[in-house]
Amino acid sequence: MSNDPVVRTVNLVKIYQNGGVPVPAVRGIDLSVEPGSFTAITGPSGSGKSTLVHMLGGLDPRTSGEIWMSGKRVDTLSESAWALLRRERIGLVFQFFNLIGNMTVADNVELPALLAGATPREARERREYLLGELGLADRADDSPTRLAGGEQQRVALARALANRPSLLLADEPTGNLDSRNTRDVLRLLSQVHKDGQTIIMVTHDARVASLADRLVTLLDGQIVDDGSIPAPRRRPLGRAGDVIELHG
Amino acid sequence: MHTPPKNNPKDPTTPPSPTPDQSAQEGASETPGHELNQSAQEGASETPGHELNPGAREGAGPWTDERRERSDRSEEGRDRVKSPLAAARSAAIKNSPLAAARSAAMGRAAISRWVVRDLKARRWEALLVVILVAGVVTALMAAVTLLEDRTNPWRGLFDESNGAHVWIHTNDDPDVEALARLKDVAAVAGPYRAAPASLMQQGRRVPVALRAVPVALPAVARPLVREGRWLDISAVDGVVVERSFARAMGLRPGSPMTVTALNGARHPLVVVGVAGSSDQGFYPEWPGLVWVLPETLNGIEPERGRSESVVGLRMETTDADATRLVAQQVATVLKNQVKRVSTWQEIRASMELDNRLLGTLLGFFGVVGLVAAALAIANAAGGRVLSQLRDLATLKSLGFTRGQIVGTLVVQHGGIGLSGVVLGWLCGHVLTTVVFERTPVPMQSLGVLVGATLVVLVVVGVPAWRGGRTAPIPAAPAAPLRGRLSRPARLALLVRLPPALVLGVRDAVTRPAHAALTALGLAVPMMLIVVGLGSWASLDAFLEDPRRVGQAGALHVRQGALPSADTVRLAMADPRVTSVFPGTEVEALVPGQARTVLARALGTSAQPYPFSVVEGRMFAERGEAVAGQGLFDLLGAKIGDRVRLTVGGTPLIVRFVGRVIEPERDGEVLSLGLDSLAVKDAVPAGFYSLVLRDGADPAVVRAALLAGSNGVLEVRHVVNPAERLAVIRLVVIALIAVLALVGLANLLTVNALGLRDHAADLVVLKAMGLTPRQVMATMVTGTGLMVVVGVLAGTLAGASAAAWLIDLQGHTSGVGAGIGRTPTPLVLAAAVLLAVGAALLVALLPARKAARARLPVTAR
Repeated sequence: MSNDPVVRTVNLVKIYQNGGVPVPAVRGIDLSVEPGSFTAITGPSGSGKSTLVHMLGGLDPRTSGEIWMSGKRVDTLSESAWALLRRERIGLVFQFFNLIGNMTVADNVELPALLAGATPREARERREYLLGELGLADRADDSPTRLAGGEQQRVALARALANRPSLLLADEPTGNLDSRNTRDVLRLLSQVHKDGQTIIMVTHDARVASLADRLVTLLDGQIVDDGSIPAPRRRPLGRAGDVIELHG
Repeated sequence: MHTPPKNNPKDPTTPPSPTPDQSAQEGASETPGHELNQSAQEGASETPGHELNPGAREGAGPWTDERRERSDRSEEGRDRVKSPLAAARSAAIKNSPLAAARSAAMGRAAISRWVVRDLKARRWEALLVVILVAGVVTALMAAVTLLEDRTNPWRGLFDESNGAHVWIHTNDDPDVEALARLKDVAAVAGPYRAAPASLMQQGRRVPVALRAVPVALPAVARPLVREGRWLDISAVDGVVVERSFARAMGLRPGSPMTVTALNGARHPLVVVGVAGSSDQGFYPEWPGLVWVLPETLNGIEPERGRSESVVGLRMETTDADATRLVAQQVATVLKNQVKRVSTWQEIRASMELDNRLLGTLLGFFGVVGLVAAALAIANAAGGRVLSQLRDLATLKSLGFTRGQIVGTLVVQHGGIGLSGVVLGWLCGHVLTTVVFERTPVPMQSLGVLVGATLVVLVVVGVPAWRGGRTAPIPAAPAAPLRGRLSRPARLALLVRLPPALVLGVRDAVTRPAHAALTALGLAVPMMLIVVGLGSWASLDAFLEDPRRVGQAGALHVRQGALPSADTVRLAMADPRVTSVFPGTEVEALVPGQARTVLARALGTSAQPYPFSVVEGRMFAERGEAVAGQGLFDLLGAKIGDRVRLTVGGTPLIVRFVGRVIEPERDGEVLSLGLDSLAVKDAVPAGFYSLVLRDGADPAVVRAALLAGSNGVLEVRHVVNPAERLAVIRLVVIALIAVLALVGLANLLTVNALGLRDHAADLVVLKAMGLTPRQVMATMVTGTGLMVVVGVLAGTLAGASAAAWLIDLQGHTSGVGAGIGRTPTPLVLAAAVLLAVGAALLVALLPARKAARARLPVTAR
């Protein structure tokens, strides 16, 4: 049991119906993600990256195949059971942050904890810790709409981590950010990964993907490449590749 | 269950505890030499670490690295990371069939926080909905209270006063013994001697009935002293006045009151008390009742011939059939002595007359208003849900179940509606208690509460269910806008119609269901507003043209001591008087009904008074008559039927030839020519009805006549029924206000939705080269089209329904159909312009803001 992967898929297939015409988005993916690993899923637009991650998060039902989480089969769960699973085990970060505009930053981060049954005090303490970690302690009472993109994404990350998920799914977390905010967010992702967090991140940016220790490349809904990223050589400063190698 | 790798001992969910050095080492061991990680490590080393999280492990003692590692390796430690509650929930996930049930109980704090924050964000809209629901429920409460029979004051008065069921007015003292022996009669009140007199009040002569009663309060039909005291032998000039009359005249205990007897003598009296009674209906439907001591009455009216005798019979049961039987027996026993018989049904009906009319009106507005409010809530809740789909999807991605989403939405939107229901319920209680002096019947008010609650829950339930079905993928567009430019739209662009107009129209039709709902949401309140204006117009028509309600004669003249010929000559001498009709009013006994109706002889068959005939024709011969709807209903007769009535012992056979608008006595009035009555009843004429020239002021003519006759003539204004119904105007104004709020609520929803739907389009439109003004015009056109359609449809429906509804109302109240008026085209046009203008203004402000705002190009 302790050796079970955090998430494992068996011949996972997703076919959308578009006006009666079946459009396969994911075509038989077998993927196994070990605890503590940082997997980047990359590929061109329409290759099924997001669909795959949505299925792993239970946001989108699979057409066929199996999904196993920590040794339990979950693809057969009901919508409500998936909701409970997400609440407990899965943190989600989206490209467009998806913070709730009516609620303050603090409320956004506390919401998942409250949802999971934490007392308001527990939720507040957890939120204070997370926002402190992410350098947003002084923005707790602000509306998310008053935050910059990078800050919003950091709040979204705090929210995803609020319930100490065993799996963090990030769908293009930097897709809507400038390079400086991208760097901030990636640094945080790297940090939580270092703290033992299992992460699956979808990105189409090769440089962002290189942060991961495993790179899965999709094309037309199938895995065309899967391998661990070798330790990159250190390049001289001043190259394009150093954009995100800044000291934070 | 996963276990973190050995070289990565910290669970991600626990506060990172290591020193910066350790952290760096561990990071390096995972991804040696990785550029990005290097910067990340540095970042990590700067962040403060777990000191920020003092409460996270409260009670467990400080965590050491060693302890953490040991814990994380152990199997149970995996669960200990989370709270015991969380562990229990993990078990729940494993038993997924129970999961949904369990999840419902959880996260109340999360739900309440969402609800509170969302309500805060749109408190004004919520307040608007609360107010409009409260207004509608208040109207409903008032309506059911006024319509409820048990709230009729008659019941309370009758029980409290141990009232008499049948009242008999005779010329001489009747044989009380014989009356008491009648079957079903339990007790007898009286006989009391009664005499007519008049009271001068603000320059007009008000008829009163003086009734001589003993000092000891009678056991049956006991006057209920509400203010002051009962009659006392020590104060012979003291009188007790019936409550409704006292209120209308402004009389209170201690008020002086001068009555004029039929012989013209004046008698100063003092009001010592005010009492309620079920002996007769309220003033002004019934003449003012004044109780005096027998000695006092003898002083005022010594002539026995001018007084009558009044006897009340209390029966063993309050039963309509028994009452009829008793009344028939009375007629047999007393033969030709009976002048008039009134029964408890008549008195009860007269007490509820105005309330019933008002209640029906309020009920109608209330019920249709509830439909309008339901539409408004449905629109508001539905619109809110639509505009929140993305947030709802986010909530789902955070782990809200479908049931929780539905529950949250029902609690939130239902809560708003229900606060309105409760507020309206309370307002309804206050209104009925304070204004109408009635206590709502518990069953009825509970019915309103439950009914309105159900309506709110149903209209909120549908959008909530819709919200619950949201897919949990927040990245997906909230509501995809589909639809290409239709052929007409392309054609319109081709012929160079303003693009803003074409695009706006297209927006309106992109979502036809939504557009229809919006138009309907405006059409229903607009229709009601027009019906309200119709009621107003009908009242105006009453006042402006009393002829239409059978009140062509503005003044009634009683000749007093003057001969008839002189009276007519005097009246006709005034150039403002166009015609004078002699008339008299007698009570006619209805066969088989044991009750009397008013027979009004006015004018002659050859020269009839201009009654307002709406069906059939005016009487033209002796023996022909017209009547109000109420009499037709009472007799079950129709035009062309022949009926036999009894007037003062003489049979009166008439044939109905037409129906008139009859605002008096619930329409239970027979109108005929003076020549159709027996001579003994017709001569001399009881009064003369004066028809004035258009535009002549009745008050001026009245003053002239009084002066011309040296005060011998008694001239009085004819009270227009519309004056009694003035309260309806207040109702109409209040309801128009509530309905306007309903429309406003709908509009705000439409605007909010429009902005949401077009947030992305706006960027595109601007990119295409539309100026902010054009963008604004596009948005306003989209809303405006629905507004115009809704307002026009509502106005048309209202205009066609108004006259019909008011006629229906007239029919049920006995006045008869034919009083309904549609608002004038000018008023309608003004209403439409005002509604559309206000709506466009409401739409313009957010559109202007949106058009000027620099919108970020983001996905929804």
